[in-house]
Amino acid sequence: MHTDIGTTLATLLAIAWLLPLAGFAVEIFGGYLWGRLSKTAAYIAVGCIATGFVCSVAALLIWGNATGWSALSSQEHHAAAAHSDGVTLPPADDRRPDVAARGQNPAEHAGSAAAADSPAHPGSADQDDEHAATAEDTAAHAANHDGSPAHVAGEHRATGTRAYSGVFYTLAMFGDLVVTIDYYIDSLTLVMFVMVTFIATCIHIFAIGYMSDELTLDYVDHHAHTADGKHVHRPGRFYRFFAYMSLFCFSMLGLVLAGNIFQVFVFWELVGLCSYLLIGFYVERKSATDAANKAFIVNRVGDFGFIVGLMVIWTALGTFRFGETEVCGRRDPGIFQMVRGDDGRLLKTEDGTAVLLRTERDAHGRWQVAAAGQQRTIPYVLLVLAGFGVFCGCVGKSAQFPLQTWLPDAMEGPTPVSALVHSATMVAAGVYLAGRFFPVFTTDVLLIIAYVGCITLFLAATIAVVATDIKRVLAYSTISQLGYMMLGIGVGGWGAGLFHLVTHAFFKSLLFLCSGSVIVGCHHEQDMSRMGGLLKKMPITALTMLVGVIAISGLAIPGLIAFSGYYSKDAILATALAYADHNPLHFPLFVVPLLTAGITAFYMFRLWFYTFCGEPRDPELHAHVHESPAVMTGPLIALAVLAAFCAVGGENGVLYRLIWGSAPEGLAAGVPAAVGNGLALPSTHAVHEVHSRAGALGLLLAVAGTLLAYVIYVRRLLDPADIVRQFKRLHAFLVEKWQFDNVYDAVFVRPVHVVAGWCAAFDRVVLDGIIHASARAAVTVSRWDRLFDEGFVDGLVNLLADVVYRFGALLRVVQTGRLRQYVVFLALGALALFVLLAAFFPGA
Amino acid sequence: MPTLLNELLADTIQRSLHLFVPELIVCATIVVMLLVRVFGLHRWLPARWVTVFGAMVAMAWALYQFVGLRQETLQPAVVFTGMLIVDQFTVFFRVFLLLALVLVTALSVLTEVPDDDDGADFYTLLLGSTLGMMLMAASNHLLMLFLSVEMTSVPSYVMVGFLKGRRRSSEAALKYVVYGAGAAGIMLYGVSLLAGLTGTANLHELAVRIGTLLSAGHVSLGDPILQTALLGVLFVFVGLAFKLSVVPFHFWCPDAFEGAAAEVAGFLSVASKAGAFALLTRFVLAILGDYQPVEVRHVYLVVGIGVGVIAAVTATFGNLAAYAQTNMKRLLAYSTIAHAGYMLMAVAALIVVLTGTAAPTFDVFAEAQRAVQGLLYYLSVYLFMNLGAFAVVAMIRNRLLSEDIDSYQGLAREMPVLCVVMAVCLFSLVGVPPLGGFVGKFMIFASLFQAGFVHWSMWAVLVIGGLNTLFSLFYYVRVLKVMFLGELPEQRPAAAMAASGSSAFAVLLAVPVLLLGVFVHRLSAAANEVAGTLFR
Repeated sequence: MHTDIGTTLATLLAIAWLLPLAGFAVEIFGGYLWGRLSKTAAYIAVGCIATGFVCSVAALLIWGNATGWSALSSQEHHAAAAHSDGVTLPPADDRRPDVAARGQNPAEHAGSAAAADSPAHPGSADQDDEHAATAEDTAAHAANHDGSPAHVAGEHRATGTRAYSGVFYTLAMFGDLVVTIDYYIDSLTLVMFVMVTFIATCIHIFAIGYMSDELTLDYVDHHAHTADGKHVHRPGRFYRFFAYMSLFCFSMLGLVLAGNIFQVFVFWELVGLCSYLLIGFYVERKSATDAANKAFIVNRVGDFGFIVGLMVIWTALGTFRFGETEVCGRRDPGIFQMVRGDDGRLLKTEDGTAVLLRTERDAHGRWQVAAAGQQRTIPYVLLVLAGFGVFCGCVGKSAQFPLQTWLPDAMEGPTPVSALVHSATMVAAGVYLAGRFFPVFTTDVLLIIAYVGCITLFLAATIAVVATDIKRVLAYSTISQLGYMMLGIGVGGWGAGLFHLVTHAFFKSLLFLCSGSVIVGCHHEQDMSRMGGLLKKMPITALTMLVGVIAISGLAIPGLIAFSGYYSKDAILATALAYADHNPLHFPLFVVPLLTAGITAFYMFRLWFYTFCGEPRDPELHAHVHESPAVMTGPLIALAVLAAFCAVGGENGVLYRLIWGSAPEGLAAGVPAAVGNGLALPSTHAVHEVHSRAGALGLLLAVAGTLLAYVIYVRRLLDPADIVRQFKRLHAFLVEKWQFDNVYDAVFVRPVHVVAGWCAAFDRVVLDGIIHASARAAVTVSRWDRLFDEGFVDGLVNLLADVVYRFGALLRVVQTGRLRQYVVFLALGALALFVLLAAFFPGA
Repeated sequence: MPTLLNELLADTIQRSLHLFVPELIVCATIVVMLLVRVFGLHRWLPARWVTVFGAMVAMAWALYQFVGLRQETLQPAVVFTGMLIVDQFTVFFRVFLLLALVLVTALSVLTEVPDDDDGADFYTLLLGSTLGMMLMAASNHLLMLFLSVEMTSVPSYVMVGFLKGRRRSSEAALKYVVYGAGAAGIMLYGVSLLAGLTGTANLHELAVRIGTLLSAGHVSLGDPILQTALLGVLFVFVGLAFKLSVVPFHFWCPDAFEGAAAEVAGFLSVASKAGAFALLTRFVLAILGDYQPVEVRHVYLVVGIGVGVIAAVTATFGNLAAYAQTNMKRLLAYSTIAHAGYMLMAVAALIVVLTGTAAPTFDVFAEAQRAVQGLLYYLSVYLFMNLGAFAVVAMIRNRLLSEDIDSYQGLAREMPVLCVVMAVCLFSLVGVPPLGGFVGKFMIFASLFQAGFVHWSMWAVLVIGGLNTLFSLFYYVRVLKVMFLGELPEQRPAAAMAASGSSAFAVLLAVPVLLLGVFVHRLSAAANEVAGTLFR
């Protein structure tokens, strides 16, 4: 049963994963086949990814039925147990009680039905709304009464976790070492699959409209100029865009499905490549190619750390697989089992400098440390290095401080790309990997992650306040939100961080598509300072964007209605507050994100007010503005519904529970400071205790930020220009993006250019010189050889032939010249060989 | 007397004939083709189709034999009273040679080299020559060794001169004939020396006899027995070296190739070389036999080193001489010489390895098997890459009426497919991964490296071989440079378009070159198994 379900899931997800690759293979040649005016490529791409979405949903349903929706029901137990104050379930050592309890629990059925529907049909989640909103409060209260049942339930759930890991294809075998393409499927994988395929489908459809001006044989690029100052004319590249998008989807899904960290790395690089291709889609624009290069190179910096991490893991653990996997008939432990075992604890040696690896299974099938003498260990420092290295990769991909500079520039790509690649999915891959690799992170690494996230979210938010390009504001807000996710994971809020990842994907892709709609409506004008008053002209875009803005700002009327961002940001803030309570030294980890919640609301509403409200700042532009066609507004509405309602119920809602179903072992109970190297991680219970406090503070600041934006940009009680004048230097500092680009330019880019110049000179002068000289030498030698052949050998032959000729002349035998030489040489050759053999014979 | 006759008949009919079917089919094809013309049916049944059909049937039968031998439903046997041996090695070469025959016939059908009137003559010669090569691979007797070489050579002479009315062609044929006759004379002398010395002409018994003669203390050079034996071996080697165009017996090769049609040159460079290598391998193993006493092995070590030196010189000479060529066929002729050198390195490695001492880390017969395996793999790849190059030359000749490298300027724009095929073949000839030529070269070099543990000189040969690979890059790429980077001239003589299937045929030859470079295992395993049958 177990393996059967795993195989079914793997097959379904593999179809969803490989279809875009097939699509790519077909589309990339489509330009020749169908011509540049055909939309066939787009239809194929949409077909592939939409089928992928259907497969993903099917997989989610199958998984849910196979596990009896235990991920959902156990949370119901949790709530119920908390309500009845101490109905403790027996400490479970297997999954049976879970399944057995299923029939008696009416709430569970509701949960499963909702789960079955909600990812596919967001609208149907409405019915859960009320229940969920109230359940959240009660759950928080209930947890206050008595923490222990929650603990037990948490533990219980943990053992109910099911991850299917297995082998797709064996690439090679070298003795004990088996190199394979693996899969690792748990609820997080499934949620990511559904999310990615759904958003990708929406964006593909949107792009049919957005990219339609590429459907031409003579595309005039107004942003690119030839040497004589004219606009660049080129054939349209509609089909190529969709081919790249399909390749991207394949890579992204492969990254999520990958069952070993090396496979993740391969797809990690593939999404990087797709990102490079898509950012530089308008290759004729220098800014676009520069941005593509920048994105690629900056990511390589992070990947350097990633590779170091991989090497450490390979050297110390000898495997790349995440979970335990059956390979060639034996069950091998994965990284997670080796490091954390079945209970999620690190087992240190007595002196604390090394961590014991669990490589053997005991009688109950649990992973244990091998018998004394055969124990394998990894030095604690190396474990930290492994985690830190992998996190470096995440820093690059998710544009975290200090590698955040590439993401804003990446907005040079077409807007659907920004929506799919640079906000919703690829950049979130860093967060996803940080979540996936959580078991390997020690508390020290988590602290680094938290601080990196904390710095990033503040830094990006401040820059967003002064940006005027509509896409750049969104880009900085993306960086900032990614910082929130990293912070969430860093402070032990594994579920909160990944929860925010999913909700953010929905509302940020919505926001980007809305901005794309605005940009198309304004004829490729991206500067907000020339917009204004678009609300009447583009009502659908404006309203759907408002949904996104409210979601990202975290505005809500508690108890009545709240959009997805409110829940997920609250979850992160609550975890951060609990963390700060446990580790008072690290209070900025709560204060900074709290403040930034206000800044977020401010700059997002500033964007919306700037664009849609007030008087048109550029009447000429305003006159030509039009609402986008249905093929573009349709996806906006679909995404808006999800952005609003995907997270209903908050931490008792379907989405969060699905994600939490894959939470690392032992996370719910928290980690005391004594175990965690002086750093404590808050337990679920502790987070619940402070949840309402953090939520209230966050909401307060969000409202304040919104009001401030309203006051400045709608009521105009304060003149923004005046404020800029007052804080001129600060404004300049922020406009210059905290001087990061300038500093990097001075510290890295220019020195590299200088060194590269030296290298080029060395290459040109020395290496090329050597090669040219050797080529010349070879030619000379061969010329000698020819001379030798023609002069000496032929001469010798001629001489001999001459002699023979005279001899022959004497005998009056008349023969032609060359042929005779040959024959003579035949005989002479045989003779010469014998003479040589004799001369070199030993003992001669 | 009648009993002897009966025994002979029984041996022929019961034991030998059913193992000889592919050769019989080739013979029958020749007869049918000639009869067709006699009865004037050749308008309805052109000779080329008879040839293609006959060759394919023969190849199918040979394949069936190969599978049979592999699954041991068919037993290897010495047939025709010890004249021939049919084992996996023989059958491997049967398949190989018949495949070459099919490909060359297909090529000549596409490029229309023999016209309808001459077709029967040409294909008779082609089939006859192939028959000789198949006998070469099956030889088990000194007499068969000589006869098969001659049977291969005589039709070859005529084929080289087949382009009637062209002076160059006739001249080339004449040179080839006379040179070949000289080589045949020397070889026959060698055969007579060996047979006279040992009292047998059977290859199986040769090794034991020579071993017995020499191990009785006759290992100093002053000894007449050793002198005679060495002379005999050397002279036979000269005869084979002529077929292999090994320096210094290569003089006929550039002239003959330049004068012959590219199709014939391609056939000679691939098939006759394969047959000669098969025969050389058999001869070498016949001389060395199983394990010889130490002092005898010492003698052979010198022979092996000598072969290695000749191989190195041949490769170097071929590559360097190819530099200055302006005619594409002449360039390929020198390239053929160079490749004969590379393949001869495998034979050198084989001899040297067999003289080595078995040590725990060094399994003599496994290493020897690997050397033969490398040779077989190299030959298989060489079939496709060299024939591919010659095929493209033939097709371009039909379009441009020229074989000068200078006339190939910018051809890639006019005939992209053919030029890409040419690029694949030439890069494979250089030995660039992931093409088949790389794998073949790698296997041979690996054997040389192992042989270096027996005697260091093999490492020197290995280094020279490696350097040669580098040298060869220059002149091959020069052709490609002209093709791909040259400017298309304004005026091109209008000529008949090539047959529609020609590009497809060229691609058909290039694809295995790629495949053999990527999917190495199947063929290398088969080659290993075939090589293994020699050391049972």
